[in-house]
Amino acid sequence: MKWMQFFTPVSSINWEEAHTLVQQYPIGDVTFLDVRQPKEYEKSHLPGAKLIPLGELEGRLDELDREKPIIIY
Amino acid sequence: MLAGKGFDKTYNLSGGIKAWNKELAVGPEDVGLHLFSGGTSAEEAIVTGFGLEAGLRDFYTSMQIRVTNASTKALFGMLADIEVLHQERLVKLYAEMTGAEIALQDFAKKIAEPAMEGGLTTEEYLQLYQTDLESEIEVLGLALAIEAQALDLYSRAAQHSKEHEGFRTVLLQIAEEERGHMARLSEYIDRHQGVR
Repeated sequence: MKWMQFFTPVSSINWEEAHTLVQQYPIGDVTFLDVRQPKEYEKSHLPGAKLIPLGELEGRLDELDREKPIIIY
Repeated sequence: MLAGKGFDKTYNLSGGIKAWNKELAVGPEDVGLHLFSGGTSAEEAIVTGFGLEAGLRDFYTSMQIRVTNASTKALFGMLADIEVLHQERLVKLYAEMTGAEIALQDFAKKIAEPAMEGGLTTEEYLQLYQTDLESEIEVLGLALAIEAQALDLYSRAAQHSKEHEGFRTVLLQIAEEERGHMARLSEYIDRHQGVR
């Protein structure tokens, strides 16, 4: 059995690394993707984060750029 | 889910939002966006941006007068000056888009002010947040929160302005500079934790 079939590995980065990543790319290229519910987003979110609740993600993939970095929380 | 669908540059923010050690923004995803997109033309959006910068500048100028610490005064003065540079950039963009050369003062009086009716004054805003103006740390914290909201609004507006590349670029540049303001304010707060 290959676990890769079920879980595609994703790198984890901390907030400092995320901040560095934003600085390394041209302005606006890094997307912070908030996959929580709208009410949670409303309470607080990373400035400029895009909201796509996890349950809607599969149907809204065309809103994201495959070529550019995405930091998910 | 994303990594398996061809999104190769995907990262998980470890610890999620709770571990984010920087400023956060509040409000729904579409708040303020009606000012920048939808039926709004790029020219109208520039006027809105100009109004937002005027608000930020007014806030910093008011704070500069109120605080007593000399270095905090200087910091607010410097931040107010940068907002003027943002306004100048927006006026230049407006001139490029419309072909009408206009001075910043004339733009403010004839175009921006009539369009920016309503909203909260700096005084009302301060009352709303019940900021203790005697505490410089609290005032700096409010400034940081306002910058986070401005960064949030500019970034989201840029995401929705794909059809106007020039305007999108300016929004992103200003957003990035607001991010720089936040970094400067944060560093200042760290250095002056004992300031009252």
